[in-house]
Amino acid sequence: MNDTTPVVLLIDDDLQIRRFLRAGFNLEHFKVLEEETGEAGLRSATLRSVDLIIVDLNLPDMDGAEIVKRIRAWSIVPIIVLSVRASDEDKVRLLEYGADDYVVKPFSMVELLARARAALRRHARTAQSESVVNLGRLSVDLANRAVFVDTARIPLSPKEYRLVQVLAQHAGNVVTHNHLVKEIWGVRGMQNAHYLRILVRRLRRKIEQNPKQPRILVSELGVGYRLTTGD
Amino acid sequence: MWTRIRELRKELPARWLLDLGHTALSLLLVAGITGLIGIALHFYKIDHVTILYLIPVLVAALHWGLVPAVVAAIAGVAAPAFFFYPPIYDLRVHNPDQVIDLVLFIIVAVVTSQLGVIARQAKIRAQAENLRDALIGSVSHELRTPLASIVGSVSILAQSPTIKQDEHLSSLVQVTREEADRLNSEIQNLLDATRISSEGIRPRLEWVDPEDIINGMLARKRWLLSERPITQDIEDDLPLVYVDSAMLETALSQLMGNALKYSPLRSPIVISASRTDDTIQIKVIDQGEGLAFGESEKIFERFYRSPQHAGAISGSGLGLWIARALIQACGGRVRASSLGQGHGTTLQIDLPVTAQPASDEHIDE
Repeated sequence: MNDTTPVVLLIDDDLQIRRFLRAGFNLEHFKVLEEETGEAGLRSATLRSVDLIIVDLNLPDMDGAEIVKRIRAWSIVPIIVLSVRASDEDKVRLLEYGADDYVVKPFSMVELLARARAALRRHARTAQSESVVNLGRLSVDLANRAVFVDTARIPLSPKEYRLVQVLAQHAGNVVTHNHLVKEIWGVRGMQNAHYLRILVRRLRRKIEQNPKQPRILVSELGVGYRLTTGD
Repeated sequence: MWTRIRELRKELPARWLLDLGHTALSLLLVAGITGLIGIALHFYKIDHVTILYLIPVLVAALHWGLVPAVVAAIAGVAAPAFFFYPPIYDLRVHNPDQVIDLVLFIIVAVVTSQLGVIARQAKIRAQAENLRDALIGSVSHELRTPLASIVGSVSILAQSPTIKQDEHLSSLVQVTREEADRLNSEIQNLLDATRISSEGIRPRLEWVDPEDIINGMLARKRWLLSERPITQDIEDDLPLVYVDSAMLETALSQLMGNALKYSPLRSPIVISASRTDDTIQIKVIDQGEGLAFGESEKIFERFYRSPQHAGAISGSGLGLWIARALIQACGGRVRASSLGQGHGTTLQIDLPVTAQPASDEHIDE
């Protein structure tokens, strides 16, 4: 996707939503494919070469979560889910099925593009096995297990580093609490959920300018955490 | 959605016609019972049959209302007197028992029909409420999709260089954006209110950092906060709380929305979080009009609007009621206080501090 125009597949049954998404992505030099139904969307995803999929959670013929699951069975293409009034459980379920991120309607194009670019970058990093993740003031050197804020190396405990590492691998996209707990402690459990909150607090003290108003390690309430560029 | 409204409006036959039909039915029931008793008397000797006539009275009272029930009661006393008690085929009262029976039957008819009315009304009310909630739910959903197109389109316009350069155009784009946001939060209020009144609320409790709740709320309200000096006064090392984080964030947003609405533009707002022995207190302190005497409870009532603002500032009167319901579902309390009119309002959430599982040292193990 580096040398050619990236292709985004929009799967949404609402014409007006597709219209503004098309305009927004076109302005950012994406090539846009549109489908109205889950069936057609799945077919397009299989037959065409697609770099990014934007799928609505409530399609007339199929649950968006089902689409995510079916695409993930054979592809690692970035998927972002659009939803109207999704509960936290729904969001977590989507992410666990393998969606890269979600945005809740109504959303701004800026927000969606930020999520989309983050997902595309992650995809590219995996493909090219890049090992340094730069996010505003924060940079994470995954190969050397080193974390820098404004070029100053930050000493981290092993668990703190593991937290940064997992978040950095998904930089810009949300990572669920469950996923983090599993990656850091290896098991789920309420105690670990509590530890995760404490660990995040400790990490914020080391990497945030004002740990009480975090800009880099932000919380997605009820869902998980996200590393952002701090803008 | 519209088919459901049409169903509701399905025309009903006139009331008197219904009563007439039901009265005929209840007389038919009395006749039926009389026939059955007549047959039974051929085989068995039964002394007192009047009691059996309570059956048509009860049926009529519960299902058809007062008139058919009273008719059934009178017929139910008259029929055995005429057919079964000596002198047979004579309607004149020969026994004071029959007068007592009549009085008793009529009392049963009246009381039971009243109960029937109450039960029917409750049923109708429940149906109407379900319908209303379904309507609100689907209306909110139907409103959100076009709103998403508006917000999305406007967000693209806002990025356009042509508009960015033009002060007037960009201010129009901002108006559209802000009003769409306002509309969205009103729709969210409707949804939340429906959820609270129809399903009851089922919190999904989890450990959460109170600071994240406050920051989540500030992020959600960022469009409205640009011209407000906001001071955050958060105590160090607050314990985590065990709550439904989305609900609590919604509730806190409501308190913040209230403070923004009822205090002068550009006046400062303080958000503080502190700990006493067994509670965490989150406060939203504004420098607005404050509360009138006796209002500190009333403002949490559904649809309550303060008379001093009701004309000037628009609102549904749902916000604080929603906040209270959500906070209570998380095991907390919310209250309002004011040093009097002109001295601002403090809205305060008290959350219980539950036992924290083990200490921090285990984190790195």
